[in-house]
Order: sequence, then C-alpha cells, then structure tokens
Amino acid sequence: MINVFWTHPGKMAKPGVERASCTGASAIFRLLLIIPSLLVIVTPALAQQSKHPVYVGAKVCGSCHDGTGMGHQYSLWLLNKHSRAYASLAKPYAREIARLSGIPDPPDQAPMCLGCHATAAEAEPWERDPTFALEDGIQCEKCHGPGSEYSRPEVMSNREAAVKAGLRIPNKEWCANCHFTKGSHVAVHDLPALDIDEALKKIAHPLPEKPTLPAGKSETSESVEPKTGPQYVGALACGSCHKQEALGFQYNVWRLSNHARAYAVLATPKAFELAKQKGLEGEPQKLGECLRCHATGYGEEAPSFSASFSPAEGVGCEACHGPGSEYQHEAVMRDKRMSASAGLKPVSRTTCLRCHEDSHEKPFNYEEARRQIEHPKNRPQAAAQPQYKTPVNAALSPDGKELYVACEASNSVIVVDTATQEKTAEFQVGGQPADVSFSPDGKYAYASNRLDDTVSVIDVASRRAVRTLQVGDEPHGLLTEKTGRYLYVLNTSTDDISVYDTTTFEEIRRLSAGRGPWSLALSPDGNQILVTNMLSRFVPLRQPPVSEVTMIDVERGVVENRLTVPEANLIQGVSWHPSGEFGLVTLNRTKNLVPMTRLVQGWTINNGLGIVWKEGRVDQVLLDEPNMGFPDAADVAFTPDGRYALVTSTTSHRVAVVDVQKLLSIVKSASEKERKEILPNHRGKATEYVIKHISTERSPRGLVIDADGRFAYVCNSLDDSLTVIDLASLEPVKRVDLGGPKEITKVRFGEQTFHDAKITFQRQFSCHSCHPDGHVDGIAYDIEADGIGISPVDNRTLRGINDTAPFKWEGTNPSLSRQCGARLSVFFTRVAPFTPEELAAVDNYICTIPRPPNRYRPLGAPLTPAQRRGKRIFERTMTNDGQIIPEENRCVTCHFPPLYTDRRKHDVGTREKLDRTGTFDTPHLNNIYDSAPYLHNGMAATLEEIWTIYNPYDTHGVTNDMTKDELNDLIEYLKTL
Amino acid sequence: MKSSRIFSSLFVLVATISLLWGDPPTKSPIKLPYVYTKWKQFTTADGLPNDHIFAVEVDGPKVWVGTEDGLACIDKRTGKIQSWKEEDGLPWKVVTGLVVDKRTGDLWLGLFGGGLARFSGGRFDHWHQMNSGLVNDVVYAVAIQGDNVWAATTAGCSRFNTKTGEWTIFTEKNAPMEEIWNYNVHATEEKVHLAVWGSGVLEFDVKTERWKEYLDPDGEMEIDLYRDDGIVHVITTAAEYVDDVLWVSSYFGVCRYDGRHWRGFYEHECGLPSDFNNNLKARSAIEAWFCTDKGLGACMDFETDTWVAYTRNSDGTGKAVVTRGKEVLEVIEGPVNVPQSFIICADIDGDDVWVGTGKGLGWGIGEGYYPGLKERLPAKTSNLRSENSPSRNGRAQ
Repeated sequence: MINVFWTHPGKMAKPGVERASCTGASAIFRLLLIIPSLLVIVTPALAQQSKHPVYVGAKVCGSCHDGTGMGHQYSLWLLNKHSRAYASLAKPYAREIARLSGIPDPPDQAPMCLGCHATAAEAEPWERDPTFALEDGIQCEKCHGPGSEYSRPEVMSNREAAVKAGLRIPNKEWCANCHFTKGSHVAVHDLPALDIDEALKKIAHPLPEKPTLPAGKSETSESVEPKTGPQYVGALACGSCHKQEALGFQYNVWRLSNHARAYAVLATPKAFELAKQKGLEGEPQKLGECLRCHATGYGEEAPSFSASFSPAEGVGCEACHGPGSEYQHEAVMRDKRMSASAGLKPVSRTTCLRCHEDSHEKPFNYEEARRQIEHPKNRPQAAAQPQYKTPVNAALSPDGKELYVACEASNSVIVVDTATQEKTAEFQVGGQPADVSFSPDGKYAYASNRLDDTVSVIDVASRRAVRTLQVGDEPHGLLTEKTGRYLYVLNTSTDDISVYDTTTFEEIRRLSAGRGPWSLALSPDGNQILVTNMLSRFVPLRQPPVSEVTMIDVERGVVENRLTVPEANLIQGVSWHPSGEFGLVTLNRTKNLVPMTRLVQGWTINNGLGIVWKEGRVDQVLLDEPNMGFPDAADVAFTPDGRYALVTSTTSHRVAVVDVQKLLSIVKSASEKERKEILPNHRGKATEYVIKHISTERSPRGLVIDADGRFAYVCNSLDDSLTVIDLASLEPVKRVDLGGPKEITKVRFGEQTFHDAKITFQRQFSCHSCHPDGHVDGIAYDIEADGIGISPVDNRTLRGINDTAPFKWEGTNPSLSRQCGARLSVFFTRVAPFTPEELAAVDNYICTIPRPPNRYRPLGAPLTPAQRRGKRIFERTMTNDGQIIPEENRCVTCHFPPLYTDRRKHDVGTREKLDRTGTFDTPHLNNIYDSAPYLHNGMAATLEEIWTIYNPYDTHGVTNDMTKDELNDLIEYLKTL
Repeated sequence: MKSSRIFSSLFVLVATISLLWGDPPTKSPIKLPYVYTKWKQFTTADGLPNDHIFAVEVDGPKVWVGTEDGLACIDKRTGKIQSWKEEDGLPWKVVTGLVVDKRTGDLWLGLFGGGLARFSGGRFDHWHQMNSGLVNDVVYAVAIQGDNVWAATTAGCSRFNTKTGEWTIFTEKNAPMEEIWNYNVHATEEKVHLAVWGSGVLEFDVKTERWKEYLDPDGEMEIDLYRDDGIVHVITTAAEYVDDVLWVSSYFGVCRYDGRHWRGFYEHECGLPSDFNNNLKARSAIEAWFCTDKGLGACMDFETDTWVAYTRNSDGTGKAVVTRGKEVLEVIEGPVNVPQSFIICADIDGDDVWVGTGKGLGWGIGEGYYPGLKERLPAKTSNLRSENSPSRNGRAQ
C-alpha cells in the first residue's frame, strides 16, 4: 500500500511530510504502469498541446494536394487571386491605398497590408518552416491553419485527427475577416463589393469523391541530385532580391503575369482537351511535351534542378534567363560580364517565339506580349503628392535674428530671417517635428519628431541635424534650462519627461508627468519649468476630468509639485509672465458628464486660460464670449513688458489679445467662491480682458514674441505661413510664405475642415477639440442620440480607423461618411452638416492620419520572450487544464489580424446600468497601448482591468484560468499590436 | 604604628568595595566603537500618524516614515511633520516599504495589502493586482534598480520597468524560490537581493539576469549544524549588499558573506540582542545594524567582532552595551535611545541613524561619528555588572 500526499498536481509533498509504505516491488511496478496510463486518459488534450504548429507553405500542401486524384487543388489555388495577393502589393495602387490609410511603411512590408495579403504575416520567423514563402500570398494555411502537425498523410486522412492537430475548416465568416469592404481600397480601385458566395465558388477546390494521392513524378522530372553545370534554382531564389522596390518589384510583376500560372493552367479541362487533340495521353502536368513550354527548364536537354526548384512555378525567370545557380549571387549579378559568363542569357524575340510561335493556334503579338510582361528595374514613379509644410511651433534664436519653424508635414525646420521676415532656409529633421527650441548659447537647436520618437540635434551654423536622440513615445515640447546643460523632452504618449545631459546626450533621468505632457516653459529666473498635460487624469466613471500642470524644480531636476486643474482638459500652451509670479496655460473645459443636447452658452466645451500662480494655485477663466467661442486655444505668449498675453485659437483662426492687468484684477478681486465656481464658467467675463481679436490665416498654433516686444510670429499650420503681428498696433502686418504648394488637395481640404470650428454652433469646438493630433481626449461622453444619460461612451482615437467600420461603440454607423454626416450635425455640431465635398474631404483626411509606429515592436523587430508567450495565449485554443475554448470566445476570433477586429458586434459582458445595450462593435487593437481608458465607456483604466475586474464570467475571452504572469504576458503581446 | 594599620585597613576596605561594586579604574584607552548617545524620539504625540513604524527612508533633509496607519515626512531642518492618510490620497494605510529614487526624487511605497504606490510632486499613483502586473498586493519592501522598481510581495517578487511599463514576476517558476514569500528586497546597480521566508537569499545579477540562491547547506531548519557553512537560516528577513559584502538577517541569527567566507552571529556569543531579526541596515563591509525583537544590535566592527546593543529599559531609560565577542567592554546608561526595544526597521543617514520601532521612531544623532574603532577611554558607567548578569548584551528588561 502506498500513501502519497500530493501538494498539487505533479508535485510531491515535501520530504518529511510524505509517507510511503510499500508492500513489495510488484506494487511499485503496478504504480509505474498505472500513473502514465492515467495521465493519458485524463489529459488527452494536453498531449495535443505539446507541439506548437508552424507554417509549412503551400508547396508542401501541393506535394499531395495536386493531380487529378486530388482535384488539382494546388493548381486551382495557383490560378486564383489568392496566390497573387502578396504580389499585388507591388502595384501602384497599393502604395496609394497605404498612403490613404496613414500607413507609413511600404505595403509589401507593412503588417497592416501583409495581414490580408499574405499568410503568417503576424507569425515570427521561427514559426515558418524553410519551405514556407511569404511571397505565396494567401496560401492554404491562411484559412486552414499552420500545417506542420496535420500535413502528414496519415493525419490528414483522418479528419478528426487532423482537426485536433490544428486543421481548421473555415466558413465564409472567416473570409469576411479580410474581405469586408475596406474604404481605403474602394477609394482607390473602386471595385464592387465582394459577393462572398460567388467568390467561394471561384476558389472552390473540392476533393474528388475518392481522392488518391499523386503517384510518381512527371516523365521528364529530373533527379535533384546535384550534377555538374548550372541548375535551375526557382523563381523564388531570384525573388529574394528582385522583389524589392529598388528593383522594380520584378518578382511580383512576374508573379502577377500569366507566366506564373503556366503550369497550373495545365490542370484545366481545356488543357486536357488540347493534349488529347495532340494525341497525348495522361495528365498534361506530367507530360514533357506540355511542360516544355508550361514550365521552366523542361525544354532543355538534360536540365538539372536544385532542391529549391518546383515546376509549379510555371514559366519562371530562368525559363528565359537560363538556369541561375551560378549567376544568382549578388556579387556575380552586379557584374554584367561575370553574370553572362555564369549563364545569364540575354532575352530576345527568339526566346519568346520558342514557345509562343504557333502555339495552340493562338495568334502571338510579340510587342504586345512583351509590354505585358516587361519588368524594368526602374518603374515610373507615381506623381508626387503636394508636400505641405504645416508649421506648428516656432522658436526665436537667442540673438533674435532667426526664427526656426517646426513643420510637421514636410519633416523640416524652416528658417526665417526676422529682419527681412522672409524664409531663408529649410532643412530636414525627423518625422513630424512638433516643436523646436534653442540652446541658450544659440549654437544648437533641438527639434522633437513625434512620428519617429526622436529629437534632432541641429547645428545652427551648418543648419543641419548632426545627431538624433532616441526619446520616449511621441515627443512634443522640449527646451533646455538656462545653462543649456539639460534638455527636457516631453514624451506625450508615455506620460513622462526625458532629461538629457547635453554634454553626453545621455538620458540621465525620466520624470513622471501627467497624462499627455504637451508643452513647457521655463520661468524667468530659470528655477522652475511648468509642463502642461493634455489629458485628464484617470477619474472614476462619471466623474469630471481633472488635469495637471506639472512643476519641475530645475536645480534638483525633480518634480516639485503637481497642480490640479479641475474640470479642465487639453491643457496645451504655456508661458510665464515676465515677473515670474504666474504663468498662463490654455485649456478646454469639456462638460462631458452632461448630455450634449445643446451648445448654446458653452453647454459642451468651453475654452479659456489657466492662471498658474507660483505658489501653486490655479485659477481658470474663459476666452469664450456669450455668442462666440474661442475654440482650441493652442498657445500663449506674453509681451516682454507683461502687459499683454496673446493666445491662438487654432480653429477660429485668430489670436486673442488679453489685457493682463485687467485679467488679474478681476481674478484677485473675486471672492473665493467666484474664483472657484463662477469665473471658470462665466462666458461674459472675457470681454472685460480680451481687448482684441486679430485675424490670422488658417489654424494658428504656436506663437512667439520677440525680445523687443515688436512683433509676434504666429504659425498658421494649415496655410503654410506665418502671420506677423505688430504689437504696437496689434495688427497683422505681414504674411510670411513658407513655401508650401498652392494647390489644396482633397486631403488638405479635409484637414482644414477638421480644424475649423465653423462647423459648430457659435464656433464652440471642432473635430480637433476631441481628437487632437487625430487622436483622443481620453474622456467619456454622453451623446444624446441614444437617450439622455444613456450609454456614455469612451472617446476613440481616429488613428488607424480606416477600414474598421462600423463606427461608434454600438456599431451604428457603417461608414465614415455616415459617422461624420448628417447625424454629426444633429447630435454634435448643431449647424448645417458638411457639404458632400467637405464630408468626402474630412473622411479622406481622417483615413490618412498617420499611424505612429508601435514602440513596443518596431517594424521587423522580433518578439521578446514575454511577448512571444503572450502571443501564444492570445492565439490559444485551450485553457490551462486542457478544455477547448469555443471558437467564438477566443481572442483571435474577434480580434483578427491585421486590424485585430472582425468588425462585428459582440456582447462581452460589459454592459453597465446606464447602457441600453451590451453588444458593442469590436474595437481594433492597433497601438492599443496608447488609447486608455478601455471598454465602451472607458471604465477600465488599464488593459489589465479589462480582465481582472470586467471579465468575471469569461465572456470577454477565457482568462480566469490564467495565472498573473500569463496575464502579464498577454498584455505585453497586446502592446505590440 | 597604629595609624598606619588604620590607614592600611581603610585602603583594603576601599579596594574591596571598589572590586565588589564597580569597575576597577581603567588605566589606559582601548579600541572602542562609536556609541550613539544623543537620541530624539518621535511618536504620535509629535505628529506621526501612528507609532508602529514599518519603514523609514531618509532623503536629504526629509525623513519618510511608513507606519501602520499612514505615511509621514519629517523635515529635519524644521522638525515639522507632514502626514498622509487614506483620506489625504494615500492609496492604502499600511506602509511597509519605502525607497526614494534618487534620480527623480520620487518616493515609492510598498503597501501591505494595497500594492505599490509612487508619491511624486504631491501625487500618489497606485498599482495593484487588478490594474497592473503586480503579482500581489501584500508588499513588504521596495527597491530601485536603474529604471526598475522591485517589490517583494507575499506571492513572489515583481519588477516594474518604469520606462517600458513592463511587469515581470519572479516566483518558483523562473527563480530558485523554494517558497515565494518575499520578505525584503535590496538593490544595487549590479545585483538585487531577495530575502525570502524559507528560501534564504536569492541574488539576481542585473547584467546576466541569472539567479543564484543562498541556502543553509546543512538543510536543517531547527539547528545550524555546521558553523559558517553558509547562511545561518533560510527564514531570512533582509539581505543587503554593500561594499561587496552581503549581510543577512534571519529569525535565527544573522550572518555576513564576503564572497568567500560566511560568518554567522548569534545572541549567545556576541552583541546581537536577539536571534529574532526583523530587518537590517548595512553601512559598510564592516558595519551593519540589526533590528531585533529585543533591541537594536549594531555590528560596529566586523574584524574585531565589536558590537553595540541599544535597548530601552523598563524605567524609560536607555542602555548601550559594547561587547567584543562575549566580553563586555562598556555599558552606557542614560536617557532613552530607541523608543522601544522591538526594532522593526532602520536607515542610515550619513553619520546618523534612524530606527523604527513598535512605539515610535528614534533618531540617533551621530555627532563625532567614526567608523570602526578608535582608542578611547570607556565611558564611566553607573552599574557595570559581571559577565553573567542578566543585563549582559543589553537585553531589554
């Protein structure tokens, strides 16, 4: 008899606790037999889980799934568009679609494009066998799952066993994951919506009633044993170099041509008929007479093929250029003489006529045919899009002689001579420069590049970027303290502040900011830095926003105070009064807790200033007037005498001039209650201290005032110009042209409309107000449309939303034009809706908002171990104890790559008391780390909370069996999407 | 003749009395350690939120104090105490771990049942099991290592990268943890040490990301079978790595490891007030302070096995006993030193020491502090007793 105490499965109790008594060796022997058997019986699924399936590639499938006995399945695939899906990314319109979607990477490399145009795009290199080729586009395993475990005949012949080994039998819902209508594609090639049922007929590849595996090889098939002399290596070997854009996508061009289907076409009934007519018996794909022209190398005498070659490639590169084993190497190919002597053949009319002359009695026009297949290295470039500048911020050199302007759209800094007030130079920096600042000695300037997550260090004398610093995510404001030793960079997306030592350019510390640090200003005495934060802190559901102004002690280099600004958000611009007693910040006061039923008297969003006193108190006042808003205040600057403060309104295209003395006297004479409750909401007060509005050009953002107090320079971001304001007369005196194109494209027009508050009643707000930088303001709203007080919803980012219809959390809007159309005016803007032209332009613009690169997994970077483990969890089909997870409750079913949404509505058990429904549109997960809070009403402050708090019944994926470290791994993976 | 006999008798009488009742007059200086004789105490009467002091961390002029019911900050310059309770935004009232990130000035708090918090510029940020990757909310201690914050919890150790936001959990799955009850964590730029109940000390090499465990080689929980063969006991409460030396405290003695040799210390053979140690704070390779349940034991000079034990007497006075091995060299009675003999935590602040006890915080002011030993005369004592007296080693009455 054996008594054994188990502490948990698989682990014996500790020594000293365990007691075992044994009646004999036979008992031990029986135990040794029983235990393994029990394990096999009790946990059969665990045995299946032991191997992670990998992708083997269509050729491996095709080694069995071809020929008459198997219904020519592989050849049918070669003939349909799926096999050309990757190659189609080389077409010019692919680049246009990517551009329209805000995808900065080349389509043949962008995960977003490859996700639907290739197989296993989201897999890691180790998950693809050497036999797998991404270039084969949508292959068998895209629909049927990675095949390493089920592709053996003995497994495949048993459907049940194959399914257990990972074989998936998709339905048309699965097809819809990629084939849902995509606005980006429709906009370019305008194809009709796909009829899934018809499409399924086209790609149908049924097995015969009694399938038989192909036996033997073709009559002229050659041994792959190496022989002397050149061998045929296969088009894919050529394609490893010749698929690049730099070489004109030559491999892809071939792949799209009929040559690539030449072998597959031999499986068609027509081929059989033609063969019969010629008196040929047997399958055309095995007949030398057919392969001579329908495959590569078979027309040669004693051809030799390498292991990488497959006749299924049809008429490949080497059919015309000769067997490539000797010339394929880059070192040889680059030398014309060497490659020729290594066997690279010139191609002429004769090459083509060898097969095409008198071929099946088909007429052959050599010139026409050549045009169809030509694949030059240098392809005609698509017409360049107009390159706008979009100046967003500026800085004056310490000597006041030059103005540096950060231009977001052109990735450049423009230099303006302040004496002549003319543009004098322009040089490139990184992607989407957001701000620029000088070192105190004027020798260097620094530009933050929010698309690249970098800072360019500019040598002023040579006017070029001499160094690039890698900083945190989406840097915006930056400056040095008065010695110039330390550079402060605001990482807007990581909510922190990098501090660099400019002597070593090493990051010496990273300070925690508020949410979305945006801009900063150094106090006149150099002792403090004020930092504005654009997003409200996380607040409990149905609580008003609370934002922060962060105060840094420069001497110690630490955060000394965090000033709360209640009921405010989008705190952006900041400037210190010359006295150093206070600073001003621009802000919105968004009333997100009340339903957006009306706009009059600032019912939805008010706009104003925060007075940040040195001691730490913050007062708020408005710049709105009773019948006219001052929307999207972006920047503020004081005249050197401290008399006036100028404030830009990005979406009403003007600058407000604030009489500082009047403003302060109103505030200081107010009672405590008035300061706290009345002044921040009083639209009638602005007329007492705003003495003038100065019109500028489109969308003024940053502004600077020169040290003499003579001029203010305002960056008109969507006019590619500066407005120069004479501060004596408070009049605009000059428009400085920064050199952008005069043509207004559709996208540009859309951008201008997006940043224009004329679309709202009393110009209270614009699209930008809730979606700054095309992103999100991080708060939840109560939209009237579903009922007052019903279904508050979290605001969502516009980045990457193209092709993720439907829109709105309840999925009620099937398209962007519906989302931004008449309903917008009824429930949001309360004036006439966009004109059709405006609507199309706004939609166009929204689609093109660039998707920032994912900072957790740069393009091409491998997964970290934690991310890799998380990916397995994301894709898992079983729980930890071996239970099958229903397909509808697996992460990857609803969050299907590359958009990570199936664009359907699901109930994931998150309905709250105020919600009228619990079924919500599946949000996409691209850059999900950057759009907290989560769930439809923003109740989950972090990704973890989605499952630790809001998934008690495993309705939002099965997660309650996970350990904490597994959940951490899942989160790490989600952050890479 | 008669007078000389009287004189001689008197001399003998005086000498006898001296021998019986006091130290023989010392004729020359001996090598003795610095003894803290100037102390201040802080309790709730002075403004602390609670008298159970679980953590103390000194950062320049500020002394951060973690208590059972709140966080406090003492400004050494002014003596003012500012405190925070849950109603002031402190995420959880029981503060068991404190560490200041010297680069940013942020204070990190381990909360016993409340997870991890950061106090920065007046704002509390809170991470717990539900909103983050923290493995468990019962956090005993925190440490900073580069961009990482380490939290020793009752269910493993969590490492939080403040730049990437990545959480890593260390348990028996990926570390040689025999048990996962982490009592303490200490970090330098090169190494992180965990004191784990029942699992000795685990050492993490930052560069290689590999673990090394220090267990008691004889494997006996009840006795230390072989002296100085390794860690004295696997139920460890603190481990600190200073000047290439690892100091370890446990419930059954303390020890020191210089990379080659282990040396264990027990109450019966040195100045350690008790074998039951809650914590330790090391100053150098030769000096470390041990927080025991019966007093504060400071190994002031490892080379000579010289200790000073501080205890509070039942009459409210204080005692400091200097020993070398088993020999008592000096006993200093005086005003109270540590507020209570149940010592929970300590921190070293330049020449000063701060001691958290079950009844308030003590501040040992190190005027004239010197490391190691210096030749001086022992302090005059009022009631020096023999080696076998109950008050040897300064144990609390």
